[in-house]
Amino acid sequence: MLDRIVDDFDDNPAAMTYFYDLFRRIYCQGEPVERKGMQVGTTCIHAPEELIYAFGANPVRLCNGSYHYDQIGADFMPAKSCSLVKATLGMLSSENVIPKVGKLDLIVNPTTCDQKKKASAMMSAMGYAVYNLELPPAKESEAARVYWQRSVREFTNQLRIVTGKKLTKKNLMAAMAKTSRAQVAFRTLHNFRRVAPSLILGKDAFLVTNAYFFDDIERWTASVEALNIELAQREKDGFCAAQKKAPRILFTGSPPIFPNLKLPLVIEEAGGVVVVDETCSANRMLYDMTSVDEWLVNDMVDSLADKYLKPCTCPIFTNNDDRIRRLLDLAKSFAVDGIVYQTFAGCQVYEMEQRSVADALNKAGFCMLAVETDYSPDDMGQLTTRIEAFLESIKSRKRKAA
Amino acid sequence: MNYFAGLDIGSTAIKVALVNQEGDLIGMRVTDSGSLFHKNAKEALRVLLEQHGIAREEVRYLIATGYGRKLFKEADDSISEITANAIGAHEVGRAFGGVRTIINIGGQDSKAIQIDATGSVSNFAMNDKCAAGTGRFLDVAARNLNIDLEELGDYHFNGKGVPLTINSTCTVFAESEIIGLLANSHGKEEIVAGIHYSIAKRTVRLAKRVGIEDRVYFDGGPALNKGLVAALQDELQRELVVPEHPQTTTAFGAAILARNEFLSGNG
Repeated sequence: MLDRIVDDFDDNPAAMTYFYDLFRRIYCQGEPVERKGMQVGTTCIHAPEELIYAFGANPVRLCNGSYHYDQIGADFMPAKSCSLVKATLGMLSSENVIPKVGKLDLIVNPTTCDQKKKASAMMSAMGYAVYNLELPPAKESEAARVYWQRSVREFTNQLRIVTGKKLTKKNLMAAMAKTSRAQVAFRTLHNFRRVAPSLILGKDAFLVTNAYFFDDIERWTASVEALNIELAQREKDGFCAAQKKAPRILFTGSPPIFPNLKLPLVIEEAGGVVVVDETCSANRMLYDMTSVDEWLVNDMVDSLADKYLKPCTCPIFTNNDDRIRRLLDLAKSFAVDGIVYQTFAGCQVYEMEQRSVADALNKAGFCMLAVETDYSPDDMGQLTTRIEAFLESIKSRKRKAA
Repeated sequence: MNYFAGLDIGSTAIKVALVNQEGDLIGMRVTDSGSLFHKNAKEALRVLLEQHGIAREEVRYLIATGYGRKLFKEADDSISEITANAIGAHEVGRAFGGVRTIINIGGQDSKAIQIDATGSVSNFAMNDKCAAGTGRFLDVAARNLNIDLEELGDYHFNGKGVPLTINSTCTVFAESEIIGLLANSHGKEEIVAGIHYSIAKRTVRLAKRVGIEDRVYFDGGPALNKGLVAALQDELQRELVVPEHPQTTTAFGAAILARNEFLSGNG
């Protein structure tokens, strides 16, 4: 997969070499990830990483994209369950966990979808220390907000016990500065993708955000900043990473995680370009910056909790109009030609939201293609047909409109 | 003379269509895909050209479509079968007053396509990773019942009782369900009608996802089956437009596109 991402495209940005090498070393050669301190595994973006950093530990996102582990994980879950959850369990049950981050001192499992909720006990049974971070099923009500703030405070307490350290304002500020710098770098990259014709392809952008799952945050940030400098130069030079008329695609739904980048890759091999996404493996993970202006550390934790609950557009929430608003906003501001909505077979919440999202987008004049897939590589042919037809229909409509 | 060809390499059959400078259908050919479908596709084209006394050089532009489109390197271009089907159906549908919805049942997939007044695809849906409700389903059923695929239509209309219900949505499980019905001495006719209604129900659900607009065009090999056509019309509560040659609509669409591309100077 990595060879296809790298070698099948000309003109990859030079600064992407860092990320290509990173994935080759970590995933293909199984090298350990160099990071100091305790390792806290997370199974979702809902676990506040600033808190983990503040306690001197490193968060590592365990959500896995490998078909190999998906098959191993099938032993733990019903047949019709989500590839992502199966792959994560499969990876954790294996002796050689990849990425190799070393011993996981804790796994924090936010209680999001049913499958992740039930995965908790299975991870415990494998011998991991699992902490369930309780998430409310809705996010608008004050009760939900208070409930979630209490959960996050409890989690802080748990981190104190595991690490034996104390949370101070200074530590938390330093942790937030770290993640803020990463988020600023991401936003800059995100904004470069507005430029038409595109300066960078979506497959590279997904690889960058994927590296955030396990890479050292400062090394990651520096590498993204280097990439941004190169993209600024590309913009000045009028460089095109894709054809001028390449259909611009907004990608949403179940998250693409390396090596399962097949759908974004199929889009770009067929001549489209993914210019922006609304997924929890990329945009949703890094877009919102923390800017907490509370003075007391406890209040800081509460407002940090708010930041993790309120803007989140995960389909597990009862009402999720925010997701539609966000999609419409991204579709308009990135001048996209169409939306591709990925659902992993067995990921019910994304599947259920698909109709209302399609209706809202269609009403606003955008066309959406919903694709159901999983981690197995055998549906590449069918996916290609769908994607090509979708891109052809966009082109033919644009030609007729012109 | 200038000719243009569309080559639709499907999972079950290879379809070739040939049009002239004016876009009129000159000839067509349908053969089995077999395992060497690249060789079979070349052969199908060669035979068709020979029948009409046309030299290969006279075919100015060839567009491949269907499952094997990328593997046929001799083509000038390739296009997805969804777009090709839309172009073909739009063209053929003119004689019927224009079509807006296409239902296509192929060997291994089924799709519903909505087109606008100009023939552009506005929405489409395909079955996901499953052979239920496709031509393969009919194949398997015919084999279980020990009758020819071509006879299915006759059996459909000769039933004395009501069509039986086939509940299984999986081709493999449906197979055992059919065997079970046979074992309980149900008539083949009622089983065949049941199979047709089962496919029709699935197909209509797929079509509803893209939105059904008049007129509805039905193509693909299974459209030759009159029983299935009747079942589909029942489920849709509408008349279907079934072309004379339902198997070659997509190949014809690719040929039309080949002609347009060549004449617009892209060739």
